[in-house]
Amino acid sequence: MPAGISTSDFYYILPELVLTAGALVVLIADVLLPKDRRAALSWVTLIALGATLASLAPFASTRVEIAHGLIAVDRFALFFKILFLVAAAITVLMSVRYLEVEGASPGEYYFLILCATLGMMIMAGGIDLVTIFIGLETMAVSFYILAGFIKPSQRSNEAAVKYFLLGAFSLGILLYGMSLMYGLSGTTNLRVMATRFAGQEQNPLLVLAVILVVAGVGFKIAAVPFHMWAPDVYEGAPTPITAFLSVGSKAASFAMLLRIFVEGLPAMSGDWRLLFYVLSIVTMTVGNFAAVTQSNLKRMLAYSSIAHAGYVLIGVVAGTARGVTATLIYLLVYSFMQLGAFAVIVLLRREDVVGDELKDFSGLHVRNPFAAFAMLLFMLSLGGIPPTAGFMGKFWLFSSAIDAGYYWLAVIGVLNSAVSLYYYVRVVVFMYLKKETIGSEPKATPALAVTLAIAVAATLILGVYPRLLFEVAEASARTLGMVPITTALR
Amino acid sequence: MAQAIAFYFIAACILGFAVLVVTTRDTVHSVLFLVLDFLFVAALYVLLGAQFLAAIQVLVYAGGIVVLYLFVVMLVNLKRPPEAHEDPHRRTKLGFGLAAAVLLELGAIAVYGSVNPAAPMPATPAIPVSGNTEQVGWLLYTSYLIPFEIASMLLLVAMIGAIVLAKREL
Amino acid sequence: MLLLIPLLPFIGFLVNASFGRRLTKRVAGAVACGAMILSFVVSVAAVFRLLSFDPESRVMAQTVYEWITSGDLAVPFTLRLDPLSAVMILIVTGIGSLIHVYSTAYMHEERDAEYARYFSYLNLFATFMLVLVLGANFLVLFVGWEGVGLCSYLLIGFWYQKKSASDAGKKAFIVNRIGDFGFVLGVLLTFVRFGTLDFQQVARSLANLGTETTFGTVSVITLLLFVGATGKSAQIPLYVWLPDAMEGPTPVSALIHAATMVTAGVYMIGRNAVLFGHAPLTLKFVAVIGVATAFFAGTIGLVQNDIKRVLAYSTVSQLGYMFLAMGVGAYAAGIFHLYTHAFFKALLFLGSGAVIHALAGEQDLRRMGGLKRDLPVTYWTFLIGAIAISGVPGFAGFFSKDEILAKTFESGHTLLWGVGLLTSLLTAIYMFRVVYLAFHGKPAAAPQPAHPEEEEPAAQAHAHSHLHDAPPAMALVLIVLAAGSVLAGYVGLGGRFEHFLEPSFAPQTAKAAADGGTGMTLMIVSIVVAFAGIGIATYYFLKNCRAAAVMAARFAGLRLVLQNKYYVDEIYDATVVQPIRIVSEDGLWKTIDVRLIDGAVNGVGETVGGASEVLRRVQTGSVRAYAASLLLGVVLVLGYYLWR
Repeated sequence: MPAGISTSDFYYILPELVLTAGALVVLIADVLLPKDRRAALSWVTLIALGATLASLAPFASTRVEIAHGLIAVDRFALFFKILFLVAAAITVLMSVRYLEVEGASPGEYYFLILCATLGMMIMAGGIDLVTIFIGLETMAVSFYILAGFIKPSQRSNEAAVKYFLLGAFSLGILLYGMSLMYGLSGTTNLRVMATRFAGQEQNPLLVLAVILVVAGVGFKIAAVPFHMWAPDVYEGAPTPITAFLSVGSKAASFAMLLRIFVEGLPAMSGDWRLLFYVLSIVTMTVGNFAAVTQSNLKRMLAYSSIAHAGYVLIGVVAGTARGVTATLIYLLVYSFMQLGAFAVIVLLRREDVVGDELKDFSGLHVRNPFAAFAMLLFMLSLGGIPPTAGFMGKFWLFSSAIDAGYYWLAVIGVLNSAVSLYYYVRVVVFMYLKKETIGSEPKATPALAVTLAIAVAATLILGVYPRLLFEVAEASARTLGMVPITTALR
Repeated sequence: MAQAIAFYFIAACILGFAVLVVTTRDTVHSVLFLVLDFLFVAALYVLLGAQFLAAIQVLVYAGGIVVLYLFVVMLVNLKRPPEAHEDPHRRTKLGFGLAAAVLLELGAIAVYGSVNPAAPMPATPAIPVSGNTEQVGWLLYTSYLIPFEIASMLLLVAMIGAIVLAKREL
Repeated sequence: MLLLIPLLPFIGFLVNASFGRRLTKRVAGAVACGAMILSFVVSVAAVFRLLSFDPESRVMAQTVYEWITSGDLAVPFTLRLDPLSAVMILIVTGIGSLIHVYSTAYMHEERDAEYARYFSYLNLFATFMLVLVLGANFLVLFVGWEGVGLCSYLLIGFWYQKKSASDAGKKAFIVNRIGDFGFVLGVLLTFVRFGTLDFQQVARSLANLGTETTFGTVSVITLLLFVGATGKSAQIPLYVWLPDAMEGPTPVSALIHAATMVTAGVYMIGRNAVLFGHAPLTLKFVAVIGVATAFFAGTIGLVQNDIKRVLAYSTVSQLGYMFLAMGVGAYAAGIFHLYTHAFFKALLFLGSGAVIHALAGEQDLRRMGGLKRDLPVTYWTFLIGAIAISGVPGFAGFFSKDEILAKTFESGHTLLWGVGLLTSLLTAIYMFRVVYLAFHGKPAAAPQPAHPEEEEPAAQAHAHSHLHDAPPAMALVLIVLAAGSVLAGYVGLGGRFEHFLEPSFAPQTAKAAADGGTGMTLMIVSIVVAFAGIGIATYYFLKNCRAAAVMAARFAGLRLVLQNKYYVDEIYDATVVQPIRIVSEDGLWKTIDVRLIDGAVNGVGETVGGASEVLRRVQTGSVRAYAASLLLGVVLVLGYYLWR
């Protein structure tokens, strides 16, 4: 008889339980609250996220496998869980105003955001293909619905349908790869799998599995050539959801990627490094060059987010402890600047203005100096200008690549960030060097102001004082996997 | 040997019906082919000794979901010809080309694999043949309890999603 | 104490940026100027403290905090004051203060909020510039490097109502990207090669290495860094942004595009003198680029009609001199020229600003003339500046320029010396051309509305009769700078300046002092050249204007080429800009950004409605195309593996 599950296992998934409970409370409160009081749901959601965050505290330095190796509770998971919760909270903050303007009902919306977060947390903790897959699906299904949440909007509906169809397709590819991995090793546990695969580098079926999983994960992180969905979906989905999708879903997929490849397939590192090496270069380059011509800001940020997936892959390619550290650092840093940029777009959304066209930013520094300054900061940070956090992140990524001997990767990364500045600065040019347009004044609600303040503060502080983040990220990276990552292969 | 023949026969049927599902012009026929497809998948489960799964497959997919499909198709699409088939952008050639390429590559891998056999895997512990309901239940409610519970959340999400999409007014 | 120097302008920036909208001009100006002047006072105090140390150990450092630490890599946020940065901070805060004061009058017609915005940018610029020159490692320097760039773009485009201004800002930005790309790579490679980013440690680890005679790592590093320098300091081939940058307010041109930011490249080479000293090949390249830039920019300057553009090309040309000095290893001479140049070029710009201010925005030399009578202060100070830059003995430019030429000659680069000397002739000619056209001769006829879009409406109506000279704040600054342009050079007498700087460049500085004979001959040659230039200008542009016209007619072709700046902008446009534009717009737009359903994006779809409509359009290809691309990726990768 297989061994049962113990009480201690439930203790270790306390944060997930709290979040689930919170999600259910939101769902019930939605029914119980009178229609005009439903705005309070955002508070319930925020409290749920806060409580989950607080319940992570006991596990600050835990490192265990629970439920017979289905889930790991370690610092790596913790780092990502904090990232997801913060990103979700910021998303909720910027959704308040957006839902009001769009006239959408908040109950199911917040419930789905919490469920998506739950899925991400499971993904980050999963060290078993079963858990990872279930987490992935929970997140993905929530996002399919969220992307189409603004029902009157054709763009939103279209985004949802596209995302769903392509998501299902890519999932098929991913599952094929996973089933091959299971079939070859006879286990779904990644760590056991790693020991079984030792010495199997030449096995063609394993190579096939690696390629298929790379493609499936590549879809989730929007790496070229699996990226086509991203611009359409990002542009069509409700802006806060786009923000959450481009940050949370991407970070969770990177967590999954690191778990699968670093923990489960260290034997194949020669192959997946090469694959990610190529993907990284192509993704950066295509993302940046395509972003140059965009006039819609959400679409531009979609391509920019594609390009950023390319940068983050640099850390994965390096594969060293430092590379993984850089990946974690960059994902966190990227979250803040990306969320901040989207928050500014939400701020510009008014009854009469959609706010995501470049021309909507004309002369913003006159109309709303703080928002313009915040956007300036996010753009510079995305472009990697010191002393912002984005610079720090890129610095870590590129130096990790150099450290591991991938000089050309670093050079291409630098070249790409030079290109990327072109379109980021175009936004700055519009805000600071163009005549103001006529239209109602964009006013920040308290929630949006808090969102922007958090993002600005994080972008500046992590750039000026990155030490703490670095130490945390390094400690987290070191708990990844039982298999030591040795020096990089060239 | 007999098992191998059975496997290939069932697999060929699954593939064949899948192709028919997407190529048939009549939507109702398409759904009916889907039922057949699901039945053969169930047969595959039986072949693998997973009778419980096979039963569930028949009950849930062939019995429940596809019947629902049929209702929807008959209610909604009664008069309209299936548009997709007149779609000029179908890229049939591209589709066939890609499918052929995948097939070719998989074949190449199979050939390569049989020519250069890989180093033998360390012995895998034999998976207990758990064809009966009791064992599946044990696994689900003990070792895999947590994913099982998460799956319930997943279903809840799907349900809420269906409501969101179906609700006329938000 | 060192931290205070950049911190003070930063506080000024914060005040003006956060409360600027509610401050009156008086308060905003006072805050900005006060912050700069205080910073200058602190700098002077710091430099005096530095001077009290033993000459060999003149270094003060302050580690603000550990910025980055990770295993073997530690990058502290350290500010370090040594003789080289001492010179730089005095220039930045000193000239900076003067220009702040000047700006209070020059920008007085702006709205309150704009006024505060201007000063907040200016203060922020000073902050970053000070971080740049005080930074003790490449990363801190890079913070300043990018920061000054950003402020520069914002200030160039300050008058964004003018399209040309915002275009110029964008151009400066893009051109600098190319330079920065080289710079970042250089820094990364430095890190790979030496394992540190601290200037001192890099120099120290080079100490027991021989110079690189072949093209090795150090050569690559220095070459990449130099690419960065060509961007920031406007050298061939990246100089094209600087003349356009003149669209910014004139005090900005004076501060950023003449005295401080554009010299950052020169400073950076000086800061890494030891590194560059180990790569003689790069140095040779630097010298050649420097002198070529000096010469080309000088020739273009000869025929430009916009007063600020002449000065801009002059700046490019003088920066070329500085790079020449760096290239022949005469680091001290280069920095010396940087220092004197800051005075007289700021003076010339501010003088031209006073002219423009008086003429209500007129910048065309052809529509000036006879201003001597109405603008005496401006005239005399401008004249001093022109004399100083031309290299007339006794004035600041003479000392430094002569030193560079002498050092070039001594180092055996006779050809470079010859071109440098020729450039010095050109300098005298174009500067005095400006003096004569603007201040002498008859007042120009009524302005022709040839370029109505370039000037402000007020310029149309101006008449020379009611011209007013610079207001007191501006006049005061002009006089102080004029005094500086005369006196600044005497600091260098007897090699004192060089000795002072020596620890910063050790151990590579050329030791041999010029022996009396050659030195004297060389000096006489340059004096003769300077006067010859002034003479030529006097003949053509004052005594015999017809001769100038005849010359212009005879060499019409050459003149056209020069006036169009050798068509460099056009060539870049045709060879670089257009291809990129075509690739990214026509190529990528159509292939990478596949958007087969334009209707939805254009909002057409919104009106149609209906779920089946969505499905129909989704099915018209895009989803299939996307799925196909997904699968294609897999097929290609698999194919690659099988083929391998």
